[in-house]
Amino acid sequence: MTSAGSTATAAPRGLLNRRVLAVGLLFVIPLLVVLLMNLGRDPHAVRSPLVGRAAPPFVLSPAGGGAPVSLESLRGRPIVLNFWATWCAPCIQEHPALNAAASARSDVTFLGVVYQDEEARIREFQKRYGSAYPSLLDPDGKTAIAYGIAGVPETFFIDTKGTIVAKVSYALGADEIQGHLEKAAR
Amino acid sequence: MRGLRAALVAGVLGAATMSSGQEAKPAADPSTVVGPPRAGALTGDALEKRTHEVAALLRCPVCQGLSVADSPSTMATNMRGQVRDLVAAGYDQEQILAYFERSYGEFVRLQPPLRGVNWLVWLAPIVGLLGGGAVVWWALRRPHAGDAVTTEPLGEVPGRDTLPEDSGLAPFVLRIRERAYGWPGGVSPGAKTAAEPVA
Repeated sequence: MTSAGSTATAAPRGLLNRRVLAVGLLFVIPLLVVLLMNLGRDPHAVRSPLVGRAAPPFVLSPAGGGAPVSLESLRGRPIVLNFWATWCAPCIQEHPALNAAASARSDVTFLGVVYQDEEARIREFQKRYGSAYPSLLDPDGKTAIAYGIAGVPETFFIDTKGTIVAKVSYALGADEIQGHLEKAAR
Repeated sequence: MRGLRAALVAGVLGAATMSSGQEAKPAADPSTVVGPPRAGALTGDALEKRTHEVAALLRCPVCQGLSVADSPSTMATNMRGQVRDLVAAGYDQEQILAYFERSYGEFVRLQPPLRGVNWLVWLAPIVGLLGGGAVVWWALRRPHAGDAVTTEPLGEVPGRDTLPEDSGLAPFVLRIRERAYGWPGGVSPGAKTAAEPVA
């Protein structure tokens, strides 16, 4: 009885181990695949749902005074919309490239939108570094919210039909501006 | 250069304000994005309460895991202001969440909506709990390998007078037993046959 009992319990034991292994692998392998597939991905980079859609309209006053600027009235020209602030170091870093591109491309409208900053500081910045394009004030941040801004700088490239063709969430270089402008000017 | 820049700025402004007479005003009319308001307009305490409830469902995009209701950041303050405006205008919770989702993506919702792959988030814990329960039930129910072993006879149990086979060690064991238990010669009083110490 004892020998029969021990052989009867030994057989399913080996079977159980293989079963446990199979079930374990069933969970572990998909998890490993997901992990490996996303290794190179920046978890903070959330793709903007606005790319490929119509740019949210706005009417905002420029820093330093002047008549309000409406996005709709600019339809027909490619637009570079740069959300920035004077307290943002990458914004200062990309400013010369944006300025140079704005001076060189008279067929494109460059606009800054001020993000959580004071008009006096903006004017001081513009006096110090120069600006080839106006920066618009967004005092209650509604335009920033409409564009899904989560930090600065964020730059949108809008084509002649008013559709957002690209969004960049870091400091732009001259080559990159040209590259995106080609898409927007098409 | 300065002059050129000034001219450009003036040109841009001129072009932008050609259809002028407009006042600076907030972005897109929400009704073009989420349709006409579906709830009644609120005021006073009801407005503040509803604003807080909806803001608690929105993720503050500049924070780490904070809702718009809980974050002290300027961004969250602006978003709360917009939620309040939308609630006051009579938009319902789903319309307000959809309005922010259009700008920020599904990421802005703290509770993933029940659609597509999100079902996994809601169902996986239930499936895991039921599956785990099933495994525990199955493991407790099946006969244990150990049950069979306990029924087997234990075989020869060494007696208290057993001596090691090593003839050099045996006298020491007897001396220890004599000292420890007080047995004369190291042999237990009840022993049938006296252990023979190896010479």
